[in-house]
Amino acid sequence: MRELSLHILDALQNSLEAGATVVELVVDEDLPADRLTITVRDNGRGMDAATLARATDPFFTTRQTRRVGLGIPLFKAAAEHCNGDFAITSEPGKGTTLTATFQHSHLDRAPLGDMAGTLLSFILGATCDVHYVHRRATGAGETGEDNGPEVQEFEFDTREIKAELGDVSLSHPAVREWLQKLLAEGEAGLSAVG
Amino acid sequence: MKLAEIVDRLALEVRAGANQVAEREVTGGYACDLLSYVMARAKEGNLWLTVQGHPNIVAVASLVNLAGIVVTEGARIEPATVEKADQEGVPLLATPLTSYQLAGRLYDLGVK
Repeated sequence: MRELSLHILDALQNSLEAGATVVELVVDEDLPADRLTITVRDNGRGMDAATLARATDPFFTTRQTRRVGLGIPLFKAAAEHCNGDFAITSEPGKGTTLTATFQHSHLDRAPLGDMAGTLLSFILGATCDVHYVHRRATGAGETGEDNGPEVQEFEFDTREIKAELGDVSLSHPAVREWLQKLLAEGEAGLSAVG
Repeated sequence: MKLAEIVDRLALEVRAGANQVAEREVTGGYACDLLSYVMARAKEGNLWLTVQGHPNIVAVASLVNLAGIVVTEGARIEPATVEKADQEGVPLLATPLTSYQLAGRLYDLGVK
């Protein structure tokens, strides 16, 4: 994939298909440690050990229409190719957590891509709530001073937004426009840091 | 053009799916190392040129119904990839040439 946001969208959709009511997405850019960690945690139906063991096998899919499933295998390959790791833990009835790490500066690491657009399209199309945190830690402070890395964060939770909106739908044109602006500005605020 | 003729004329090494080589008809070629691109854009019957050697390439080839895969530049092919290609009947070929060089030679043979 040319952008990691496409892998993320795919993972979010897996959570939705697993019947999740809440999905938590954390994008953690730790520049001092040169790591990018993407975590998708849901409260869907989860997987038993046998299913989990085959989740990264491209010749395994729960889909009936064809017998090849490449979403997770491609995400895993992307992480491993960039000096990173990929792990999924799951418990039936509780949910699933997917974690992908990358060497942030790796030459072959695809850019995050359009996170704001990806989130917006998922939020508007999905029936589940989304808690999103995008964290970016930049260079450690001056030596000799008692300050660690500078951390910027953009956080977003559809449950809070829905509580404020009351009966108004997220897909109402005015709300949609406002959401788009909120997400775009939140993401842009972070990129200005690094 | 039959895959067997291409294998023969371009001295490709057959690493897996040997029993499929004689019958496969190659309708064109596609060169790319981004698997998502290949899934979306390669056409059935294409011969695919890549430096990827991960088992995922076999899944992509089988999904799109490609004529075969050529791993170029002598790039490492994982043992699991060879095993999977044999199981799935996907011709898996290898060459020391770059994708660019091999594509040029395929074009000269009339694979366009």
